[in-house]
Amino acid sequence: MAQPQDLLYSKEHEWVKLDGDSATIGITDYAQNALGDIVYVELPKVGEAIAQFANIGVIESVKAVSDLFTPLSGEVVEINGLLENDPAAVNRDPYGTGWLLKVRPTKPGESKGLLSPDEYDKIANQ
Amino acid sequence: MPVQYAGIIKEHDAVRRRAGLFDLSHMGQFWLSGEMVAPWADTLTVNAVGTMKPLQARYNIFCNEGGGAHDDTIFYRLATGWLLVVNAANADKMWKLLNERLPPAGVALENRHGRRALIAIQGPRSVEMLQPHVDLDLAALRYYFCAEGRVNGVPAVIARTGYTGEDGFELFVDGNEAARLWNSLLIVHQTDGLEPCGLGARDVLRLEAGMPLYGHELTEAITPVQAGLKWALKLDKPDFVGKEALVQQLERDEYSRIAGIVMDGRAPAREGYPVWREGRLVGSVRSGSIAPSLENKNVATALVAREAATVGSRLEVEIRGTKHGATVVPLPFYKRAK
Repeated sequence: MAQPQDLLYSKEHEWVKLDGDSATIGITDYAQNALGDIVYVELPKVGEAIAQFANIGVIESVKAVSDLFTPLSGEVVEINGLLENDPAAVNRDPYGTGWLLKVRPTKPGESKGLLSPDEYDKIANQ
Repeated sequence: MPVQYAGIIKEHDAVRRRAGLFDLSHMGQFWLSGEMVAPWADTLTVNAVGTMKPLQARYNIFCNEGGGAHDDTIFYRLATGWLLVVNAANADKMWKLLNERLPPAGVALENRHGRRALIAIQGPRSVEMLQPHVDLDLAALRYYFCAEGRVNGVPAVIARTGYTGEDGFELFVDGNEAARLWNSLLIVHQTDGLEPCGLGARDVLRLEAGMPLYGHELTEAITPVQAGLKWALKLDKPDFVGKEALVQQLERDEYSRIAGIVMDGRAPAREGYPVWREGRLVGSVRSGSIAPSLENKNVATALVAREAATVGSRLEVEIRGTKHGATVVPLPFYKRAK
């Protein structure tokens, strides 16, 4: 499946949408599909500083607990409050209402280390 | 049997509302025959085998000397012998155990593991969906009884048993017929909403229904008494392996036991998470899941100290270093409307 073209990706199946000094982060359609029914999302707190590729929370499906990593360093400015009562939004709309958090990137050069849609496509379709 | 087909929650909902189809052919099937089967099996198991009526099915547990469980099983009493269904993970252990304990005469054992298939249809509409495929009146087949008949013309043991908390049937057929039967039921009843179901849905369904899963609520170290299965113990049997230990455990009443808990919040309790009460570690979670039949609350079973197991008791489950509130509730979590 083709990946959305306006996003960058990590090997850990997260996506990032850069928009000025804000970056929105979520997990890819491939990831939500592999996880199955998502029942719980644990995210860092607003104001927390997070470092690129660090473990920042968990995503739980009915059967499994999976670690969540951040594709960029930054300060957490918003988390998706909808997910507390509707974690399945990540399954339904991983690139839309199922986004996870927004950060203010503190190391702008880091995005160069992320994957393009085509590069990620190769990983997801391996 | 895969973990899931269309998704655990979708499969779960199909079983609670319509029906689901399970391929349980991985489970161990042993055939026991001879005039000594019942008296012999009664010395190895906690429940009664000898009092079973023809075509009755009965849950039973093989214990070790310490009262821990080797396996939990179902006996089916058929016309010419007994079908014993054991857990897949315990099939080799149980086959060895039965052979080691075999009496000098009067019992013959046949291992049908891998040669006989087991397909279950479970859910409120199973009677209606299965009826056109069988040569007997399913409405007349009582819960925990079975019949020898035909499914799609193929000889089968048809049992009104299951592991989901719903009405349903388990169909034992020759392994060579399994794929055809599976496909036929799915194709014919696709428009009725029959869903193929995997291990994931099975685990959620059985947990909601308060049924133990071997390796979780019942192990070589966790006894049927601790698992809340006292109803399955026939302590008036003269003797059986583990009886003394189980009687002592019951008399002392100090044992840690399986409690049903409901989490306050959305974080799921998972196997192995520590359980606390008033600042004291009292046990750990044995199984946990979101429960779609309980408005998506998180439920779990935990093996906890006696005083922590009382219904209404407030506990805390430690999840990644943080304690989350939970309350002990009666088991089962879910009971179907009758």
